Amino acid sequence: MDSMQFPLYILLLLVMAAVIVPILMKEFDRKSKVMILGTLAIAWGMSLYILVGVLQSGAYLYDIGNWGAKIGIQFNIDEFSAFMSFFIVSLTILIVIYSIKDIEHEIYRKQIAGYYSLVFLLLMGMLGITFTNDLFNTYVFMEILAITSCAIISIKRKKENYMAAFRYLILNTLGSLSFLFGLALLYMVTGYLNMGEVYNTISDVWQLYPRNILLALGLMLTGLGIKAAIFPLHIWLPDAHSSAPTPSSALLSSLVVKVYIFTLIKVLYRVLGEEVITGLGVSTYLGYLAAIGMIMGSVFAIGQKDIKRMLAYSSVAQIGYIILGVSLTSTQGLSAALFHVTSHGLMKTALFLSAGSIIYYKGKRDIRELNGIGYEMPITMAVFTIAALGMIGIPGTNGFMSKWYLSFAVLEAGQPFYLVVILISSFLNAMYYLPIIINAFFKQGIDNKEKEVSNSSESMFVTEEILDNKQEMNVEGLPKLMLIPMSIIASLSIILGFFPQLVMNIIELAVNTFL
Amino acid sequence: MEILQAMMDRTNYIGAAILFVIGLYTVLTHPNLLKKVIGINIMETAVFLLMVSEGYIAGGSSPILGLTKEQATTVHVNPLPTAMILTGIVVAVSITAYSLSLIIKIYEAYGTIELDEIMELRSEQTNG
Amino acid sequence: MKASSEIRSSKGFGDYFSINCVFVFVAATLFLSMFVAMTLPSVESGIVGLMAIVGTKLVNFFISLESLPVLIILVSLIGGPIEAFIGRKSEGLRDFAVVDNNFITFIMILAMYPKVASGSIAYRIEGLFGYGLSFNVDMLSFIMAITAGILWFLVSIYAHDYMEIEAHRNRFYLWKTVTFGGVLGTVMAGDMLTMFLFFELMTFSSYMLVAHNQSNESILAGDSYIYMGVVGGLCILLGIVLVAAYTNTLEFVPLAAELAELGWVKYLITILFATGFGIKAGMLPLHIWLPKAHPVAPTPASALLSGILIKIGAYGILRVATTLFVPALEDISGYADPLWEVSQKLGALIIWMGIITMVVGVFMALQQSNMKKMLAYHSISQMGYIIMGIGVASYLGYRGSMGFSGSIYHMINHAFFKALLFMAVGLVYLRTHELDMYKLGGLWRKMPFTAFVTIIAILGITGMPGFNGFASKSILHHAIIEAYEYGHYSFKYAEILFTIVSAGTVCSFIKLFGYVFLGDCPEKYRDIEGEKPMMDMAMGGLALLIIFIGQSPNYILDRFIIPATRNLTYDPAFIDKYIVDMNFFNNHDVVSMVWVYILGIVIFIIGKKYDLFHLHLPTWLSCENTIYRPLYKGVRGLSESITKEYEEKIIKSDTIIYTVFLTGILVFFMRFI
Repeated sequence: MDSMQFPLYILLLLVMAAVIVPILMKEFDRKSKVMILGTLAIAWGMSLYILVGVLQSGAYLYDIGNWGAKIGIQFNIDEFSAFMSFFIVSLTILIVIYSIKDIEHEIYRKQIAGYYSLVFLLLMGMLGITFTNDLFNTYVFMEILAITSCAIISIKRKKENYMAAFRYLILNTLGSLSFLFGLALLYMVTGYLNMGEVYNTISDVWQLYPRNILLALGLMLTGLGIKAAIFPLHIWLPDAHSSAPTPSSALLSSLVVKVYIFTLIKVLYRVLGEEVITGLGVSTYLGYLAAIGMIMGSVFAIGQKDIKRMLAYSSVAQIGYIILGVSLTSTQGLSAALFHVTSHGLMKTALFLSAGSIIYYKGKRDIRELNGIGYEMPITMAVFTIAALGMIGIPGTNGFMSKWYLSFAVLEAGQPFYLVVILISSFLNAMYYLPIIINAFFKQGIDNKEKEVSNSSESMFVTEEILDNKQEMNVEGLPKLMLIPMSIIASLSIILGFFPQLVMNIIELAVNTFL
Repeated sequence: MEILQAMMDRTNYIGAAILFVIGLYTVLTHPNLLKKVIGINIMETAVFLLMVSEGYIAGGSSPILGLTKEQATTVHVNPLPTAMILTGIVVAVSITAYSLSLIIKIYEAYGTIELDEIMELRSEQTNG
Repeated sequence: MKASSEIRSSKGFGDYFSINCVFVFVAATLFLSMFVAMTLPSVESGIVGLMAIVGTKLVNFFISLESLPVLIILVSLIGGPIEAFIGRKSEGLRDFAVVDNNFITFIMILAMYPKVASGSIAYRIEGLFGYGLSFNVDMLSFIMAITAGILWFLVSIYAHDYMEIEAHRNRFYLWKTVTFGGVLGTVMAGDMLTMFLFFELMTFSSYMLVAHNQSNESILAGDSYIYMGVVGGLCILLGIVLVAAYTNTLEFVPLAAELAELGWVKYLITILFATGFGIKAGMLPLHIWLPKAHPVAPTPASALLSGILIKIGAYGILRVATTLFVPALEDISGYADPLWEVSQKLGALIIWMGIITMVVGVFMALQQSNMKKMLAYHSISQMGYIIMGIGVASYLGYRGSMGFSGSIYHMINHAFFKALLFMAVGLVYLRTHELDMYKLGGLWRKMPFTAFVTIIAILGITGMPGFNGFASKSILHHAIIEAYEYGHYSFKYAEILFTIVSAGTVCSFIKLFGYVFLGDCPEKYRDIEGEKPMMDMAMGGLALLIIFIGQSPNYILDRFIIPATRNLTYDPAFIDKYIVDMNFFNNHDVVSMVWVYILGIVIFIIGKKYDLFHLHLPTWLSCENTIYRPLYKGVRGLSESITKEYEEKIIKSDTIIYTVFLTGILVFFMRFI
């Protein structure tokens, strides 16, 4: 088997699985679970193979069907796409393992097959966008992603989900249309859809048709801005991410949004080039938007009462960090941004999954009701704590390293103002994550309090001790399939906190493909 | 006069732009969800129009093999945008279908498809 | 309480614990005396000589370990979870393990001495955190580490009995040991990043100690502790990033030459570091967490917090002020080199911060009736001394060695006597369950030993000649006098305030001892139980140290502090002239101490007569109510109202935002056409 073809094989495998799984799956039994995970495992193996291949023998362009770059579709398999696709597949597998138990709680049984079909298509869309080097192909994958990501929200039969999905769909379509409009305008003057070819011709074309290119850039940026939830265009995100079933929230928040950011990076650096975007002032204003987003996302998060909604707003703030890194137009800035893509992916997944476990086990979504949850669900809350500390930027977690890299990138770019923004944003993060942790571990829940009152004060110490032992010895009542992925993600974020070089080395190679 | 001439040459593009704005206006102003979907469809049409017109070359024949001598000319119309728009239409149809089905579900859930009424219902729910 | 002690003894190990403690305590004493014997310049014959030989042999084993600093930290970091694990099986065995763990750490710290004395231990772990962690143990680190080691060891012995009245003991011991790791890491760090990492570890793990008993009060105290800790951490991080970005180094090397070119940024850096570490050190007006956190923590934790943790803040300022902002030894031309500028300005700021901290701390302490709260305010006040010393050290630049040695010396001394005071108060609380000193009395009959060690500690903290506080206070006194002799005359007023604060301290402790141990014993406490042997042993250890240091103040100064001073950019001639072989028991110093005592007694009498110890200060005076609480509430309230007001509106106007954004971006691009 020719490993050159692997990227295409992954996509085909996922499409096939998306069709076959619902047909073969009568019951959500052991066999179908193995089938789902098996497919993903094969995809994971292939993406790992691609990554290793690229790191060993270098990047390559893959023309589908051997059509030329002018009319055919081209995949760009370089360090960036290989690593990011590997990251996407790995995280998806962990989320899917978690979902196997959780999803039964959230949607009707007969829809489970459909759900996994959608997840496969979603994964295909994400990988396609990451791989492709063709603008129109990006559009197609974006639409696949749009429909599937709305569908995995609306699959949960609740009022809010329908509205959230509809709003998401409308805005998504507006975004895609703007992107397509811009793409048509670019095609009009360059005659290419291949990113590399457009980049080669754009400087000549700029002299002749600046209007077209400016219009195209404006439309594309707005479109991608919606999809990547850059601050004033984040409107759809809180509703969509908070109402979706937990695995969907995790997928959407930690991966789907990032994929659109990849497209944004590609458009900015591979299609237009660094000179154009700095010359037009795009990068400067993008930086301002990012800074506003970092602050306002956190401000809105502080005001939330629903835990998943709070996490969704926290995503808005964290996307601000990534966009800030992108807007610096420097190697360091882009590396910091891509590193934060991975760390935010891990941390947000861990947060959503642990919040989901709390909802699964206790049925509580309100932040104020989570007192004392740390005793009932120690592992879940430990995962939550690690990820939340990462969000604040406490050393030992990958979140600290992203802030560290980003701070240096900001200073290197000569904009110490953003350092203050990062600082304020970190503190605001602390303001909404710390109370949850503190209340979970140090305050007693209402149920516990009642228990204690019923005991006489004399025997308080004895009962406490027994309670203590019971709580500590008892592994919480969550299925192992939910605990294991969470623990893996949490330990990954600690490992990356201690050894950021594991990822950073590859990311530095990946950044070289842009600048 | 020159401006007029230039506009006449680019009727399709101007039309596309106008359609896009009309579509956007529809999405913007109508609280009815169905009309929003229609607006989106108009916008889609605008983009398709733009893209197809880009591929058109005056006096060019369709790029099909086996045309007779009289039908074929030396220039062919660019087939690529047309092919892409076919894909685009498929995407647009599927999105329309999906959004219509969502609207049905919303109607079942809320009993209305007017956005402002739905928002009112929702805020009543959260407050009450 | 009875029930719980029955449970403990039924699990075995209860008695073995005491035996183990005694054994380990004796061993520690033996090691410490071997160590002292080793460090004495001339090995005499007889028992001291024998001890020195045995000690050297033992140490040689450890010297062969290159990674000793890391091992020391790991013993704590890994030991903590193991202790908690053991604790789930048997409580007695866990306490056993805790004491032994700290004992091992203590021995290992001692074993670092030979290498430290002949230079420093440097060790790097490559790859971690992208930059590698580096450890560098010089004399200053060693002093801090050994103080921490002694304190942790004794507190562990003490904690066994005390913790009976607290729940969640496993958690307590886990985080207590992890905090130890954090403290050791912070002091032994070789670069700023490593220091910051362990500093944050310490902040978070000690939070668990502060909020330990989970009452509303302790959670509130914990909240202010952790939020201020996070802000402090962020300030330090920002400072480190700025330094690293502009000078391209993370090491503790003299950077004054590079920083001099930076303009306003260098002042920003100094302020950031001073704020970040100042929060931990309880410097005014960043102290508000301290009087809340120390009283609510379990007593062993309070002893550690007051004894070591706040010193780490001071250590941070000291480390930064004396390495980063000073020029390298080979760069400078003398006392008036312009490169001292940053250091001087920073120093002047810190001196006044220290003085204000001292005054306010002691004033507030006089107003307290809660014993632990009073001790907490005294910690603030004593930190003022230390901070002032650091200020003098950097203000006088090349001649700052007096302030430097004074502040280090006071750090050690304060650690011992403040920990001892907290322990004594803890024992009183354990027996009486009362912290209000006005409601106690006559306890010396019940607890003669506790009363005795309390007197020793009080004599230490008030600076009686012959006890440890005297030595460091005298040096600090010399330092502040030097500050106005060589520097600005306004520090004359600082010196006066210094004397008044010392007198206030005397008064405050007369109050404490008088109300708690003397007078009539209230009916309630007539038949309380008395001493606890293990706790007494721990307290006795500290009391011995206080007396030992007090009797031969030159030992610590010559063996440890002066070598530490010589590593830095200080005038060697100055050190030789003024500090080496300093005569502490001279006429002038002793007489001035007598005046301080007289003044203290006068304040006490006046205060008692006019009832000045119960002033109800207006609430706006406390900066917690005027600054921090409104700030926190404001941010939270503002966010909530913004969310309430705009969230729905933003979501409703989804397509409008899209249209406005699109139009805006297109209009923006118009200018390029």
